[in-house]
Amino acid sequence: MHIPDGFLSVPVWATMDAIALPAIAWIARRAQREFDHHRIPLMGVMGAFVFAAQMINFPVGNGTSGHLVGGALLSFTLGPAAASIVMTAILATQALVFQDGGLLALGANVFNMAIAGVVAGYLPYALLRGRKAGVFLGGMFSLVASAALALAELLWSGVPMPPAILAVSIGLFVVSAIVEGAITLAIVRALEAIQPGFLRRPQAVRGRATLALVTAAVALAGLGVLIASPRPDGIQKLTRETGITSHVVSLLASPLADYRLHVSSAPFLAKSLAGLIGLLIVYFVCLGIRRVLTASRPAMEQEGA
Amino acid sequence: MRHARVERWSRGHSVIHRRHAAAKILATVVLLVCIATLTEHTLPTGAVYLVILVISAVAARLPVLAVLSGASAVLPFALCFALVSLLAGDPMQATMLVIRGYLSALAVLLLISTTAMPDLIAGLEWLRAPAFLLQVMQFLYRYLIVLIGEADAMRQASLSRAGSIRTLQCRQAAAAAGVLFVRSWARAQAIHRAMVSRGFEGRIPAFRRMEFKFADVVFVSLATVAITGLRAAL
Repeated sequence: MHIPDGFLSVPVWATMDAIALPAIAWIARRAQREFDHHRIPLMGVMGAFVFAAQMINFPVGNGTSGHLVGGALLSFTLGPAAASIVMTAILATQALVFQDGGLLALGANVFNMAIAGVVAGYLPYALLRGRKAGVFLGGMFSLVASAALALAELLWSGVPMPPAILAVSIGLFVVSAIVEGAITLAIVRALEAIQPGFLRRPQAVRGRATLALVTAAVALAGLGVLIASPRPDGIQKLTRETGITSHVVSLLASPLADYRLHVSSAPFLAKSLAGLIGLLIVYFVCLGIRRVLTASRPAMEQEGA
Repeated sequence: MRHARVERWSRGHSVIHRRHAAAKILATVVLLVCIATLTEHTLPTGAVYLVILVISAVAARLPVLAVLSGASAVLPFALCFALVSLLAGDPMQATMLVIRGYLSALAVLLLISTTAMPDLIAGLEWLRAPAFLLQVMQFLYRYLIVLIGEADAMRQASLSRAGSIRTLQCRQAAAAAGVLFVRSWARAQAIHRAMVSRGFEGRIPAFRRMEFKFADVVFVSLATVAITGLRAAL
C-alpha cells in the first residue's frame, strides 16, 4: 500500500501533497497543544512498536499469515490526533530509511494511511463506544479506506488496470481488511487481559446520528472512489467525463494548468516546472499559515530554544 | 541488516556528506520531480540522471554496487505493476514505471546514505517541518532497532518453547503483540523519566549546529540548474 515515486502522475501527487502536508502540520499543532511533553517519547516509542509488531506473524489459515498495520490500534490507545502523527512519523521513516514508499508520494501515503486510515478506524470505535464490534470494524475500515484510496490514486494516475485485476485486488483488500480487524481485536483483548487501562474509552457521544452518518459517509466514500474510477485512462479522461471531480481537480490544478499553457512548446519541461512550482506554492502557503497561526497565538509558542 | 549499513554509510566525511541536509533535501526533491515526469520520449535524460547519481555515489565514497542493489528494494512493487501494465497491453508504461520507480528510490537512498539521521532531522527543521512531528520521528528512529530486537528475542523464546512459529496460534501471537505493547509503553515512560531527570524539556538538543554556507547555496543552485536544464535540453 506504500506507493513509491514514479507511479503517481504530477496532478495526483501534487494535489495529495497539497492536502496532506498542511493537514498534518495542523494536526501536529493541535497534538502539541493538547499534550504535554511526556507524550513525545511515548508517541515515538509506540511508532517503533508498530514496526516491531509487524514482525509478528498472525496465522490466518491455509498456511498464510498476516501482520498488523496499526493505524486503528494506535488511534484506540493514543487518540486519533496522536495516532495520525505517529503514523506520519512511521511513513516518513519508511520512505526515508527503508525506501518503502516515495518521497513525493509521501503526501498521498500520509493521506491514505495516517489521515483517512486513522479517521476511518476511529469512527466506528467511537460510535460503538469501544465495544468489541467497534474495535473489529475500526481495524477493517481503516484498512479499506487506505487501500481504496491508494488504488484510486493509482487509477487516476493512469496506471492501467484491467477489470479482472481490479476485481482481484478489491477481493484481496476485503480479505486483508478482515485480517486487520481480527488482529486488532485479538491484540486489544490480549491487552485487556495483560494489563487493562490502555484503551481510551471514547466519551459518550451525543450526536450519535451524526457520527453514524459520518461513518457511513467514510465507508461509502471508500466504495464510491473505487466505483467512480474504473477508467484507467488517466486523469485527463476522468476530468472530461465526470462532473464534480473535474471541477475539484481543475480548481486545484488551475495555477499549474495555466502555467502549462504558457510553456506549451515544451510540454515535458512544463510538467516538471508545474510540479516544482506547485511544490513551492504548497511550501510557502504552509509557511504563511504557520506565520498567521503563530501571530494569532503568541502564548502558544514556547519552542524557541 | 540493510538499515545498519545505510547508517554506517551516512557517517562519511566526503564533499557530499558535508553539505547542509536541507541543501541535499532540496536537490533531491528537484531531481524527484524531474524523474516523476520522465516519459518514453525522454529516456536519455533518465540515463543521464542515472550517471549523475552514480557519480554522486562515487564522490560520496559509497560502495556503488551496494547502493545500486539497495535501491532495487522498490522493484518487487514496481515489477508487479509493470506486469499489470504489460497484461493491459501497455509495455511502454510498464518500462517507465520500473525506470521512474528505480531512479527515484536511488535518489532517496543517496540522500539518506550521505546524511546522518540527526542532520536530516535538522535539515527538515531548517525547512520548517513541524517540530513536534520531527521529535516523534527522532524517538521512533532511536527505538526502532531496540524494539525490533525485543520482538526478535520474544520470537526466539517462543521458537525454543513451541518448536515452530507456524504452530503459534492467532491468540498466542496476539498475546505476544500485547506483551510487546505493554513493554514498549513501560519503556517509553522509563525513557521519559530518565530524560526529564537529565533536563529534557520537550526537545532533543542538537549536537552540532549546521550552517547553510555559501557552498550549500552553490550546491543547490548548480543541482537545480543542471537537473532541470538536462530535462529541458534532452
